[in-house]
Amino acid sequence: MKDLVESSGIQVAFDEVDVVTTGTFGAMCSSGAVVNLGHADPPIKIQRAWMNDVPIPHPGAAVDLYIGATIMSETRPFEYGGAHVIEDLIRGEEVELRAMSNGTDCYPRTRLETTLTKDDLNQFYLLNFRNGYQRYSCATNGRDETIYTYMGKLLPRFRNATYSGAGELNPLMNDPDFETIGVGTRIFLGGGQGYVMGEGTQHNPRSGFGTIMVRGDAKRMSPEFIRGASFTGYGTTLYVGLGIPIPILNEGIVEKVAIRDSEILTDVVDYGITRRDRGSVRTVSYGELKSGRIEIDDREVKVSPLSSLKKAHAICETLKEWIEDGAFYLTQHVERLPADTAYRPMRETEGPVFVESVLHEAVTCTEDEGIEDVARRLVELSANHVVVVDAEDRLRGIVTSWDITKSVANGGARLSDIIVRNVYTASLNEPLETASRSMAQHNISALPVVDSDGRVLGIVTSEDISRLLGGAGHG
Amino acid sequence: MVRVMLRFSREIADRPITSQVILGQGAPVNILSAHMNQRGGEMLVEIPTENAERVIRAFREHGVTVDVRRLIEKDDDRCVDCGACISICPMDAFSFDDGYTVALDAERCNGITCGLCVDACPHRAIRLLG
Repeated sequence: MKDLVESSGIQVAFDEVDVVTTGTFGAMCSSGAVVNLGHADPPIKIQRAWMNDVPIPHPGAAVDLYIGATIMSETRPFEYGGAHVIEDLIRGEEVELRAMSNGTDCYPRTRLETTLTKDDLNQFYLLNFRNGYQRYSCATNGRDETIYTYMGKLLPRFRNATYSGAGELNPLMNDPDFETIGVGTRIFLGGGQGYVMGEGTQHNPRSGFGTIMVRGDAKRMSPEFIRGASFTGYGTTLYVGLGIPIPILNEGIVEKVAIRDSEILTDVVDYGITRRDRGSVRTVSYGELKSGRIEIDDREVKVSPLSSLKKAHAICETLKEWIEDGAFYLTQHVERLPADTAYRPMRETEGPVFVESVLHEAVTCTEDEGIEDVARRLVELSANHVVVVDAEDRLRGIVTSWDITKSVANGGARLSDIIVRNVYTASLNEPLETASRSMAQHNISALPVVDSDGRVLGIVTSEDISRLLGGAGHG
Repeated sequence: MVRVMLRFSREIADRPITSQVILGQGAPVNILSAHMNQRGGEMLVEIPTENAERVIRAFREHGVTVDVRRLIEKDDDRCVDCGACISICPMDAFSFDDGYTVALDAERCNGITCGLCVDACPHRAIRLLG
């Protein structure tokens, strides 16, 4: 269709094409499945349940469960989760169910263990709160270390980038004003058929980040289009195949479905920044993203998708065949998706606490000082860390009281021999949470706080953080 | 180019075998990575295809175990062709073909000395060999 509009114009395309199929296949975390187990004998009102060791929330009456895609197994966390339970059920495999309850007069049973396949379930419906993001940010990492995110593994100092979404194949991108996609629109979902229930959570049409909430019969889905996935260090998620037919009702719709990757813009975002608002490194088009290379700070950076464009194309083709074979009928929606929903951040009663608020003066020394002088200073000021600086107060390293004790025990050494040069640091406006996480991850107890020129402004220690959290009543 | 893993046992670890093979065969051997100490070790090397057979034979005559297996394996049933592996690989071993299928050029892979892609694959479709 896009090629036809380009080569022959809108009028010809309008005359010749009745329906355009769209599709996407990617990680969609706000997904899950509702199951009804049927009643046990004697009956149980489930209060806690697990499937293949994945905790399964129990949202309703006695034997209704919701398998959340991102909930992780208690025995194989980060590798196996609700998403994999859903995939295994769709594959027809047996799943182990454990359940517990207090027991009531009407539901006396307190424990239950059994195995189930999808054929044993009364209902097994995919029920996804937020799917099919119209577009998504491209992720990269400006930090000095590799980070593991829901956008995949991001190498340090902008060495790679990842993106999500199908660009010009995305359903909502082809119907940005929601003229045809709405409540009740029949769709391709996971290899079966489903429906749009309405706007998805975090639906943000004003900024071009529309989403949909969908449901479909998972018993008729296929593992080709529903897959559990594990993002190292983040957790599990569900890859969902989603396709929506767009009827070409008027020439205005032709114009919209003719959209190309080069016209769809998104931000490159530094996921190394641990704040809600990460800002934008630059703007790119999906055309640039699909080329495999983008420029960041005048350097070429490799970029690759996390969504499968091959499967997105396969979904468009399958849906087209279904429609041609009369196996899929288009529906008229009963209500349009809202086009003006506001997307707000969370209201918090307390703001974040920053490094600045616990920062205190660092005990410092220069590289040419003797170990005894430095040791004396630590004792006088009852500190555990001495930050090594140059004449301009720039960070050169760090020495702990333990390093000094060790060097004395080993018969003494020069200060320059025991300085730790590879120092993790914090900045003034960094949330305390991230500084604390950095210390825990690297198994250290203090971070020098530096400005953008590497000048030492002070130090923050794990004791400072414990004291603050204790004082605030969270301890 | 043929990429092979050379394994040196403790008994031969202190001998200048690599130099002897290069000089003896008059063939360039590009050392991509090496992990060696007195207890032995392994070395990933690249040999020009035309010299590969006799260079490999020479290493074997010196008692070196030469492993010409592939260094990495992609499970095509698990792979959904997302491409998460493509931008993470420093050697450009992964790429999309025309139909957006992820293709692996095993010749480019540095195998166990790198392994960056393994935990970057959301579908656990990549496995290091040996």
